[in-house]
Amino acid sequence: MTTLIQRSLPLAKSSTPALQFLRFRGKINIQRPKAPHYERARVVAVTQPKHPELPKAKSCFKTRAERTQQQQENPYNEIIAREVRNWLDHSRLVAFFHLSSITADDIFRVRVQLHKQNLHLKSYGSKIIEQAVKNTRYEAIVPLFHSNHCIVFSPNPEKTAALLRIVRRVPQMVLLGGIVEETMLSRNELVAYAQMPSLHAAQAQLVQTLSQAPGHLIQQLQAHQNSFVQVLDVHAKNQMNEETPEST
Amino acid sequence: MSVPFSGALRRSGGIVSAIGKQLKSVNLKGVKRITVQFDPFAENVKSTREFLFLLSTPKVAATNPKCVVKPEIVCDRQPANIKFALIDSAQEQAKVKEIRFNSDNLNTLELLQLCNKHVSSLAPPEEVTNKVLTKAEKQKLAGGASGGKKAIKKK
Repeated sequence: MTTLIQRSLPLAKSSTPALQFLRFRGKINIQRPKAPHYERARVVAVTQPKHPELPKAKSCFKTRAERTQQQQENPYNEIIAREVRNWLDHSRLVAFFHLSSITADDIFRVRVQLHKQNLHLKSYGSKIIEQAVKNTRYEAIVPLFHSNHCIVFSPNPEKTAALLRIVRRVPQMVLLGGIVEETMLSRNELVAYAQMPSLHAAQAQLVQTLSQAPGHLIQQLQAHQNSFVQVLDVHAKNQMNEETPEST
Repeated sequence: MSVPFSGALRRSGGIVSAIGKQLKSVNLKGVKRITVQFDPFAENVKSTREFLFLLSTPKVAATNPKCVVKPEIVCDRQPANIKFALIDSAQEQAKVKEIRFNSDNLNTLELLQLCNKHVSSLAPPEEVTNKVLTKAEKQKLAGGASGGKKAIKKK
């Protein structure tokens, strides 16, 4: 059986085709490609992708990367904006300063002095503040941040006087305005607020003013009795003085 | 036919380098006091605030340590202005007591350019103090003089 030679069909004969090796010794031609056949070139031209081009006026001076890719805003900005809004909502005193050229040492000293009074010195970029504050009730503060600035937050509005006292010694910090108890104040108004007495003192003053009218009335009613008592006092003293020299 | 060359050989560095260049030539020796008055909530105060910042930089302040820069904040939305109070010699030279810039419609570069044009030019010229010669320099001078004499003698 093994000696039987299998007769196969003529067309089923398989033989490896003649192989022609294109690559020899590594270097191939890429830089001067052969011009394609017309039919092939036509197919290639039709199948090229077409990208939408922005209207020329806007895209004229942008690079290809800027034209094709969309710029995504950094999500970290949103987090910082939320922090700014938080500080604004929970501070009863907010003061805005223009910051001239100052060394890091000096600003650190100011920061320490402020921190001792529970005043927090912060600074954020103008874009982030705009993002944080746009379409809220704090929108009016945006024009203050177009130049170098710093912000001081505090939960106690009675520290305004302390803040102004510390900042007076720093010529580089220029007070521009502030927010006290959700009311926007200009620079002069803030200075006047700082010079006002505390709430207790103001209440005591009010009580005193209210009691002035009846007090005046009582004083007038008792005027005669008081003057009589005073005259008697003087008379008694004089008598005593006369008696003692007589006795000596 | 070729067109003769016109234009710049180097590209300009932009507005920032122009401001830097102006800032290098600012000289406040002729000024006693600078008062920068602005309302922070008014429009167009950015250039005034930037100018105030640039005047407070250590290099500009070093040109005249006696000059005081005083920022004044007003609350009535009046346009911003900058006043330079001149020293006596500068007053005689310029025949005015103070120079005022209405900075509402000027940008930072223009402010600096005007400042250099009107204020820096009034700075009194520096007096040349006598330089103390070192021994090596003295020998060189003496050597040079005697060497010259010797050369002449030889000839």
